[in-house]
Amino acid sequence: MKLLMVDKNKCTGCHQCELWCGTEIASVSKELYQAIHEEPHPVPRVYVEGKQFALQCRHCENAPCIEACPNGTMRRDPETGLVYVHEPTCIACWMCVMVCPFGIINPSPSMKVAIKCDRCRNMGYPICAEVCPTQAIRLEERKDYSKKNF
Amino acid sequence: MEFIQKKTADRAVEHFLLQAADEGISLVWDRFEGQLPECGFCEAGLSCRDCLQGPCISHPFRDSNKAGVCGKDKDILAAQSLLRLVVKGTMAILDQVNDFVQGVETGGITPKNKVQANQIIKEIQKLYKNGEAKVLKAFPGAITDIWKAMGIYPEGLAKDLFKAAQKVEGGIASVEDTLLWAFKSSLLGCVAQKLQGSLKKSVFGDITPTALEVNLGVLQKGTPNILLYGHFSPVLKHKIAAAAAKKKIRVMGVCTDPLLPPYTFSPVTNYGSQEIPLMTGAVNLIVTGDQFVNPSLAGIAKDWGVAVVATEVLKKERSLESFAAQIVEKAEKAFELRRGGSTDIPENKESAVMGFVVENVEAKKIVEALKKGKIKGIVIFSGSGNVKFSQDHEIVTIAGELLKKDVFCVSEGDASVSLAKYGFLNPGQKEKNCGKGVTDLLAALGKNRPSVLDLGSSENGGVTDFLLGIAGAEKKALKDYPIRACFSEANRSTEVAEALWTVAMGVPAYFWPCLPVTGSAKATEALAQFCQEKFGAKLHVITDKKMEPRAKAALIIKDLEGGQGPRLSGLSWK
Repeated sequence: MKLLMVDKNKCTGCHQCELWCGTEIASVSKELYQAIHEEPHPVPRVYVEGKQFALQCRHCENAPCIEACPNGTMRRDPETGLVYVHEPTCIACWMCVMVCPFGIINPSPSMKVAIKCDRCRNMGYPICAEVCPTQAIRLEERKDYSKKNF
Repeated sequence: MEFIQKKTADRAVEHFLLQAADEGISLVWDRFEGQLPECGFCEAGLSCRDCLQGPCISHPFRDSNKAGVCGKDKDILAAQSLLRLVVKGTMAILDQVNDFVQGVETGGITPKNKVQANQIIKEIQKLYKNGEAKVLKAFPGAITDIWKAMGIYPEGLAKDLFKAAQKVEGGIASVEDTLLWAFKSSLLGCVAQKLQGSLKKSVFGDITPTALEVNLGVLQKGTPNILLYGHFSPVLKHKIAAAAAKKKIRVMGVCTDPLLPPYTFSPVTNYGSQEIPLMTGAVNLIVTGDQFVNPSLAGIAKDWGVAVVATEVLKKERSLESFAAQIVEKAEKAFELRRGGSTDIPENKESAVMGFVVENVEAKKIVEALKKGKIKGIVIFSGSGNVKFSQDHEIVTIAGELLKKDVFCVSEGDASVSLAKYGFLNPGQKEKNCGKGVTDLLAALGKNRPSVLDLGSSENGGVTDFLLGIAGAEKKALKDYPIRACFSEANRSTEVAEALWTVAMGVPAYFWPCLPVTGSAKATEALAQFCQEKFGAKLHVITDKKMEPRAKAALIIKDLEGGQGPRLSGLSWK
């Protein structure tokens, strides 16, 4: 499975990933100049906070959000392994928000659904990796770090 | 990121694109692609790096960083992004004026009208000192009264430019105040540029409509070719032309004033494709100023073995005469060295008549035609070209549409060169391009008038003179005339300053691409509504990036006909 890898030495904390994720994924208009003025403002699915590091959903293999979801709204795409929210069935109980160890699942400001990064599963390539000026965010095959390989 | 767009409408330039791609030469379009996506915060005017606590942004999607470290919010950041550009643009104009004055003062040239030249130099000095220049009386009282009431009347370098530049350093100022500072500094540039035009007339003599040829085909194979890039002292240009004329060497220009009586510098190409002439192999030497010159020229010139002489250096040659002689000699030697080398000069060239001034464009007849409804309005084209658009496509399409619908068009600077490349400045193509009203008006204005009248390079202040001529023809305020300024492919900060002073004179301006104010609805709307209230003219910032040039032309025509102009966010600037 491919994963978004973030190189903390390359991340300059420029927030471009947030800006374009907010525009491409979260906004209604999909155009920067209009998205800026949308109310409530679009919520990007990637977070650059504190130290310079862009954090988005890790799509954990043993995902607590899927475990915690009471009605199967939080799902895993069997083909790609990506974890996503099936919005029509979300009951806004915020269990996933509470259990996510990375804090990347949030309540939507406009609708009663949980929103999180689905690694742009319906697009060709994740937008945050595409716009990252230093290529700190890259889409790479998950490396096997298990002991047997060392 | 991928960048899918036709690079240029110019066939002569297109000829070299394939070669550049094959040989791995990076041109402006490649570098633009490499920059994509450009920083969205900077594009929307939501960033600041005026101090070392930053750089800061105002994040449109996060509450934690809505304001910079010092507390500048999105509205102030956007207004200051514009102010920064305008201050820079004004300084660029003042630098040109300064260079020229210095050249004349040091006796580098004997002015045709020495008394007048000295008077104008004194005027410029007064303008810089405290703004008390007589030239301001040339502006209609109705306009200058508004400027005085708003506190934006020019008051000299220290009070206009230096103070305006301090707004980004700190202090408390509203969006409107910040914008007014931008207007104030732009007006200083406007007046200085007007004086520069007068100085040019008194030093070199009157500019008359001159026939010349435009585009890459003007380069010649058998003789040395010197290209002048960008703006630098006209006195030095004059010396170079004189020294070259003695030796029958051709001197041509890119992004430089093509008319300097008695010499002409045929425009080889315009801003976007300024690297291309070097690829012909026919250029022997280039002389560069600072403004409008891409630093990339150095690398490409090196690849082609062309020497670059920069005029704006710390240690300047004392005698312009000997500097010019050195330049010409260097070009000659370079030509001898390259003799027999292959050249690839496209045949594309177009005749053009350039250099109309208000004295030979009869403003009264234009106003008469407006009154009788023969023409719908007047559009002024300006702006040098921007890689964000297919080169020349926007301006040529918009001008074509407007002329057909009987809108009288004038242009200046590099916009004229863009139009000239497609025959809009060729009197022979008038009937093909224009509607009946404009054709009749052009015929009434005199023989040999092209579809679009070129008002000279921006450093002549031709547009300001033209607007004052129109205003004087009927004793009517400019805001009451259907005149629009169109910056269809704008680029440099001087153009932003120009857009602002045009609006301050009461002429609405359309500006593409978006000015960096779009991050703030308040600043964007203020440029429209606040300016409308104060000056009777809007500065339209249109956020639709995908708008077709035909739609832009339709928008301007609708606006001229008295229809509703473009709708912005619909929010109030207040």
